[in-house]
Amino acid sequence: MTESKKDVIKFKMLKAIDLSGFTVFDPVLRLAFGEDPKKQFGSIVKYIFIPIVFVLTCLWLWSWIAPHHKTKSGEVPTPRDVLNSVSVNDTIADREAIKSQDFLLSGEKRQARLSEVKAQHAALKAEVDRLQAIVQTREKEKADREAAIIAPLSERYEALRSEYREAGKERDRLIAELSEDLAAGRIQKMELTAAIREDGEISDVEREELNALKSEIDEVRSQKYRPLEIARKEYDSMADKLFFLGTRLEFLEDRNLNVRLDEARSRLDGYMADLAAAESAKDALRLAKRAVRAEESVDRLEGQEYASAVTIYHQTKRSIFTVFIGFFMAAFVAIPVGIMCGLNKIFMACMTPIISVFKPVSPVVWLLIFQIVVGAFFPDPETHPLFVTLGSIPFISSLDVNPALIFSACTVAMCAVWPALVNTALGVASIDPDHVNVARVLRLGFWNRLFKIVIPSALPLVFAGLRISLGVGWMVLIAAEALSSSDGLGKFVWDEYQNGSSLTFANIIMVCFVVGIIGFFLDRMMIILQRLVSFDGKGASV
Amino acid sequence: MAYLELDNVSIGFGPPDNRVDVLKDVSLSVEENEFVAIIGFSGSGKSTLMSLLAGLQKPDTGEVRIHGNVITEPGPQLGIMFQNYSLLPWLTVFGNIELAVHQVFPELSKAALKEHVEHYVEMVSLTPALAKRPSELSGGMRQRVSLARTLAMRPEILLLDEPLSALDALTRAVLQDEIIRIWEEDKRTVLMITNDVDEATLMADRIVPLTLGPSATLAEEFAVTLDRPRDRANLNKNPEFMKLKNAVTQFMVGMNTEARETKVAPTISMPDVKPMDFSAA
Repeated sequence: MTESKKDVIKFKMLKAIDLSGFTVFDPVLRLAFGEDPKKQFGSIVKYIFIPIVFVLTCLWLWSWIAPHHKTKSGEVPTPRDVLNSVSVNDTIADREAIKSQDFLLSGEKRQARLSEVKAQHAALKAEVDRLQAIVQTREKEKADREAAIIAPLSERYEALRSEYREAGKERDRLIAELSEDLAAGRIQKMELTAAIREDGEISDVEREELNALKSEIDEVRSQKYRPLEIARKEYDSMADKLFFLGTRLEFLEDRNLNVRLDEARSRLDGYMADLAAAESAKDALRLAKRAVRAEESVDRLEGQEYASAVTIYHQTKRSIFTVFIGFFMAAFVAIPVGIMCGLNKIFMACMTPIISVFKPVSPVVWLLIFQIVVGAFFPDPETHPLFVTLGSIPFISSLDVNPALIFSACTVAMCAVWPALVNTALGVASIDPDHVNVARVLRLGFWNRLFKIVIPSALPLVFAGLRISLGVGWMVLIAAEALSSSDGLGKFVWDEYQNGSSLTFANIIMVCFVVGIIGFFLDRMMIILQRLVSFDGKGASV
Repeated sequence: MAYLELDNVSIGFGPPDNRVDVLKDVSLSVEENEFVAIIGFSGSGKSTLMSLLAGLQKPDTGEVRIHGNVITEPGPQLGIMFQNYSLLPWLTVFGNIELAVHQVFPELSKAALKEHVEHYVEMVSLTPALAKRPSELSGGMRQRVSLARTLAMRPEILLLDEPLSALDALTRAVLQDEIIRIWEEDKRTVLMITNDVDEATLMADRIVPLTLGPSATLAEEFAVTLDRPRDRANLNKNPEFMKLKNAVTQFMVGMNTEARETKVAPTISMPDVKPMDFSAA
């Protein structure tokens, strides 16, 4: 009895694995249930272990090759650097959250937090100073070491340079003499030109020699001194923390919302009191004006929120939101139009030229067109009802919907509409003639025929199309965001490329993985949907 | 006037200058509650004939009449059961039948609808599979669902288009019995197309052979006068059954040989060329 119950659970789980397309883990599950361990081990080795080894090999190859390729933005980051940039970005997000909390704290809590952070700050300050001293010592050490190596080199360089300078002057003098000789007719002109040519050649050789020596010196200077590197790294990370604590202090004190509000209110109260006691009309007017201004600033402050720096999480959320807006717009158009195409050959013939011409157009072109065309609908986005409405919906307001997002979403929709449309049309057109006969025998009306026969039979292909559409949309979105400066992963990459910090390159590669992994999950989601609607028992290709 | 009539019906395919007649001058009249089997070789136009009867296709010339009314479009009074089941794969057994019943009897309440569907599923002994989808059923079970769906519409005429030819022999026998049982319980006019002489002899009141296509037409019919119920187990010992079966088979096979004989062999006359003998010279 228990055995059969276990089997029921097992088969349910196996079905779930199959549905989601993770059939690779099938043997692991079977092994967990103790089914034919030898066979399962074989499968695990073949389809899980070997692929993992392969991926690890690729990672190793990457980390080995990367440092050997020097680019103008520094070394190519290794997997370790990329992983590091993940944690850096995570820290940034955490810190933003803390700062925004600090910004809103008030009263006793704020005081408590303030003294706590102050103590931390002081402790860290000492540590940072200590580390800075170490860095300075290391710098000095490095300078000394370099000096020891460079001194003889540079001595040689100087000696050689003055020697060559002298030799050059001597040659110049000889040439001057020769030219006088030529003027006096004592030598042929050939001799003078030969001398000049020779001088040029000798100078080149000498210059090259000097340059070689100089680059040798530069090479020594550019060599890394590991103790210094380590000390600097420690110092940097501590100094970074200290800086963060410094900003927290600001947000707990001068820049704190409630502190500023209190200040503004007390100022207002002061003016009001003064106004009540005003003696002359002139004073009253002056004070009243001040009071009104103070009132305005109180109002302004009351509505203020913490202006968070954009974090990778925010960018990711926004990208996913944008892609779904675009995707739903595409589906909203593609499915009805696709159905009409499938149902009516004339309509299909009308749509074919449009589909064929616009399908290959680059997303970049669409983005520009939408910026102009759709942009015309909201000349003043701040007050446009669409953005005002979206800004008042709880979750969406945090995503800060702006025209750039709409343009990106439209671009996604424009590029994603085609696969869904074509597949829907195909699905509808290739309906089994037997099913059509059933509909005819049952005398189904148009709508019944559409909803009970045509659409269900086309659904697997519709979803196959939607799956491709979502994939295309996600790919297009990143480019569109980069170009339209709509907050999201695309803009994140673009900003990284533009600002060129030490983390830039690693961040870009990190985004490459983020985009890939999210794309993978979106695809999986569509596969599951596709399998749920397909009735022929065949799964979608993975 | 007969109940169901085919009156000099012809149909063909292709452009007018290169037309292939599939059926030519087919006439048949079927009485009410009669079970008629049309038997023919594959490719002789049996399914086309069925499409005409069901109103899925229109004849080029001639008329198909029921009660004297010309059939111009398909409808539920003509219950057709297709050779390849034609079940909607995204619906369950119940859903497939319900769709048809709801369409034919829109006035039924939900409970009555359910009862109606279940009654017919019970009739084909498929109650345990009510919630299954066609892909989970065997061929025989699918054909039963198809039969239940057709019967549930309570058609006046049951058109069976090679209903059992896709099934294995054992399932086939079971379903034959089932169809006869249901027909006997719930008398109505049945027109069945088949390519199986045994099946036709066992089930029908009348066997009408279809001649070889193209331009197929109906040949001289055979009346089956065996008493019902016919006992499958003892039929092979029944001289009348054997005689009839042999007669039909001989007619069909004879038709085939005749066709082969009458067919003109495509002979191409070759030039009379002989190898030249060089050794003589």
